[in-house]
Amino acid sequence: MLRARWYKVINDLFGNKTRTLLIVLSMSVGLFALGIILSARTILSEGLAESFAAINPSSGTVRTTELFDEEFLESVRSMKDVQEADARRQISARVRTELGEWKNLTVFVVADYDDIRVNKVSSQSGVWPPPEREMLIERAALSVIGAQVGDVVLVRFPNDTERKILIAGSAYDPAQLPAQIDGTPYGYITFDTLEWFGEPYGFNELHVLATHAQDKDWAQQVVNHVKDKAEKSGYTIPLSMIAEPGQLPMNDVLQGILLLMGLLGVLSLFLSIFLVVNTVSALLTQQKRQIGVMKAVGGSTFQILGMYLVMVLAYGVLALLIAIPLGMAGARELSSALAVFFNFEIYSTEVPPLTIKIQVVIGLILPVLASLIPFISSLRISAAEAMSIYSISKGRFGKNWIDQILSGSNLWFTRDLSLRSLLLSVRNTFRNKGRLTLTLITLTLGSATFISVFNVRASLSSTVEDMIKWFNCDTMLTLDRAYRAERLNREALSVPGVEKTDVWIQLPTRLVRSDDSESGMIYMFAPTVKPDSLIVSPTIAEGRWLAEGDDNAVVVPSAFLQDEPELELGGNIVLKVNGKEYTFKIVGTYIGMAFLPVVYANYDYMTRITNRIGEADALMISTRDHDPVSVDAATSMLEAHFESVGIRVSMLTTINMERRDAEASFDAIVALLLVMAILLALVGGLGLMGTMSINVLERTREIGVLRAIGASNRGVAMVFIREGIVIGLMSWVMGAILAIPTSQGLNQALGQAVMGVPLTYSYSLPGMWLWLVVVVLLSILASFIPARTASRLTVREVLAYE
Amino acid sequence: MLEENSHPNIIESGSNAEKSSQHLVNLQEVVKTYHSSAGTFTALKGVDLQVESGAFVSIIGKSGSGKSTLINVITGIDRPTSGTVVVDQTAVHALNEEQIAIWRGRSVGVIFQFFQLLPTLTSVENILLAMDYGSHYSRRERPKQAMYLLELVGMAEYAHNLPGTLSGGQQQCVAIARALANNPVLLTADEPTGNLDSRSTEMVFRLFETLADSGKTILMVTHDNELAARAQRTIRLVDGRIQDEFVNR
Repeated sequence: MLRARWYKVINDLFGNKTRTLLIVLSMSVGLFALGIILSARTILSEGLAESFAAINPSSGTVRTTELFDEEFLESVRSMKDVQEADARRQISARVRTELGEWKNLTVFVVADYDDIRVNKVSSQSGVWPPPEREMLIERAALSVIGAQVGDVVLVRFPNDTERKILIAGSAYDPAQLPAQIDGTPYGYITFDTLEWFGEPYGFNELHVLATHAQDKDWAQQVVNHVKDKAEKSGYTIPLSMIAEPGQLPMNDVLQGILLLMGLLGVLSLFLSIFLVVNTVSALLTQQKRQIGVMKAVGGSTFQILGMYLVMVLAYGVLALLIAIPLGMAGARELSSALAVFFNFEIYSTEVPPLTIKIQVVIGLILPVLASLIPFISSLRISAAEAMSIYSISKGRFGKNWIDQILSGSNLWFTRDLSLRSLLLSVRNTFRNKGRLTLTLITLTLGSATFISVFNVRASLSSTVEDMIKWFNCDTMLTLDRAYRAERLNREALSVPGVEKTDVWIQLPTRLVRSDDSESGMIYMFAPTVKPDSLIVSPTIAEGRWLAEGDDNAVVVPSAFLQDEPELELGGNIVLKVNGKEYTFKIVGTYIGMAFLPVVYANYDYMTRITNRIGEADALMISTRDHDPVSVDAATSMLEAHFESVGIRVSMLTTINMERRDAEASFDAIVALLLVMAILLALVGGLGLMGTMSINVLERTREIGVLRAIGASNRGVAMVFIREGIVIGLMSWVMGAILAIPTSQGLNQALGQAVMGVPLTYSYSLPGMWLWLVVVVLLSILASFIPARTASRLTVREVLAYE
Repeated sequence: MLEENSHPNIIESGSNAEKSSQHLVNLQEVVKTYHSSAGTFTALKGVDLQVESGAFVSIIGKSGSGKSTLINVITGIDRPTSGTVVVDQTAVHALNEEQIAIWRGRSVGVIFQFFQLLPTLTSVENILLAMDYGSHYSRRERPKQAMYLLELVGMAEYAHNLPGTLSGGQQQCVAIARALANNPVLLTADEPTGNLDSRSTEMVFRLFETLADSGKTILMVTHDNELAARAQRTIRLVDGRIQDEFVNR
């Protein structure tokens, strides 16, 4: 048979259902947040690795200008250090979307879809392999072109052949960047279909899987050997890429997200602890008299402590019963959503047992540990003190400097104003400073996170702006080959709406180190450098941008100097261009992405040393009006005009499209952060509700006094609602300040993970004002239930017969 | 103090009394029964009571005799199970909680045993808060009236002190000033000196006498027979019934 004191515990748990619900909800929100973050993190990490391993990912890709055949592929496959190799034809085509807009389309031609050995592509829906004169579309790309399986789209190849082609199915190709992120859809056809487009047979892309594929340096060497072999066989190599072993193309961004999820997990854990301390304090406030009675009838501190700790454990168990299944379901949903965004398959959404164990430990042990602090201070008071009813609720208001500021002669100007009930709310806020501090910590962390999320979003936009602002143009066109620069400028300027033009050349290069080893592919962009150039300086980290008279000057990404210790600002760099080595001087470094190194050199100098004076293979135009509609109209006319005069455009992008695509790539991060911020705000709101409930309990007698002197229901409720708003406003101010370093930390972490450099810091004032509105509404909502309880108390209940 | 400050508010209260020949407080057959898991308990068993305007009435009786219940029924703090309670021509028993709170703020000044000043408001702010709720005076008048009431109870110099810095007697004086905030027709006090030492008790009781002399209607519960005898009329309750009534002077 249970001892009597355990009956009290059971009755306390189930007798006051509202209190139990509030405490259990507060705890379960924190535990849920922790569960969803930890589980999703593990599911995604494991799913990513598993999903990527299943496609037999390549160590690197080598692209050739000239076409090669199976014989060359076989010779690569037979190379000593090559584990496996496969070949494809890659064509930069154009596709007309449902809205009549022409978009870039990368078409892959595979010889045998049932024998893809590296970077495997598989069927997602519809027929497999693609039938003759039909095409498959990568599953993530369907939304980009606004088409569905079964639709017929118009595709134009670089040779000007246009064909209406049926989308016969969708394919899954996780080795490519998700189409919604880089804006380029992928199509898959057979060589028969290629022939129908008037293109000859042959491959131009080699996917190589090195032996010891996990060793990136080794993979680099193997890919270099393949390049050397290709060059010796007479092929020109415009591009080669090394993949990070076992990583998806968007791995950096995903890792950034996982990192943020980890940080938010820790944050939600802290919030849970504060919430537990707060709710336990609330419980003890309610039970103060009963503790006194138990002490008076001989209950030892140990016995009483034991009772309450068991009660806290019971709350923990109830909270876990809610948090674990919800966290599991949430983690599955979140992982699936992110997997769709990053275009990889999750084969198992099994929640790792470790997450549940962590939740259980945190749900049971932390509340007990956290509640020891209020327990010990509460159990220290004497029985007489605990049972005392001979005063209005004890507030320690009036003792310290904050109270002094808020009371008496300092507020002389309020005496003639009817602000008493407001003053009452404001001063009540500061009565229990310990509780206020805990509530403020919880809400302030929620506020800071919310505002920081908006700051990160603003910083991402600023970073995107920084990255593209130095393109002082509206549209960029890459051409199928080099043309006379003077002709390109003349033809472009003849198109109505085109105001200015500028040309550049693009060259594939490789860094040659002092030990004669070579780096992977580095793109060299050589823009014209003159005062009215359409390309202005990128954000310079150190040194300077190119000058008009520069000869062998180059500007390199700042991350490049970290990766290549031999290089330094002001020092020399040897670059292999068209198979010949040239020495350049590094005059500056710019802040740019680390995963696609681009070096800049002077157009005049580069065309001179490569014997291409007066040639250009890329064009930038500036239109008269810069709004998207005008830019798109001028661009369409330009493309049509170029076509009519025999200038072939292989890639076309407007700055507006670039901006939109870049921002879209960060949407997932922002959405995820926002979900987390809302979750934290919810935890903060529950914390505030708990605090306000304790305040109502503690001030029951005062509510009676207010009633006795004529306060209406609304009058009583407003005292507490205003108090909640005051706390909310304080947390807003503190959160807005704390958001400055928090966002800097997030920018640093996210920027380093995604781009190798911190994001351009930007503070979002709209985010700050939005949170003000949210926090006021949240405060009203959190105080409303306790305030309504307060307003329903009758004077007799609270004063007359206590 | 009051003797030196003959203020229109107090005169107004007296003139209220003169203008009506009816009883200010009129209780008919008031029964109050409490139900609990332990059973039912009838605190008032058919009480009839009439109090005229300007009267100073003390209510005495043993613990559990129903004195606090009686005063709470009159102020609307508690509701009668049956019977009628009319105060200043208002049928209090027929009002809902919200209406009672507003009526009480304007018509009744309630004084508690434990003062019950709001600890975060200064003396004057406690009075002003009651004035804000009662809206008897215009906003501009309120600060002046509040200071006048503090002068009336001899607490003007503590106007901007928080209650925690005042003695029990001083707090009760401020509480009396607060009860007078909206110039109520009736003052009720439940053991107002029960928590005070003898010196403070004397100070507070004199204040009640002065208010009574100036025409305020006062109902006071006390267990102190000596103090009760200083009222004009004393009612003794025994087991929920009025057993005796005395006219002291």
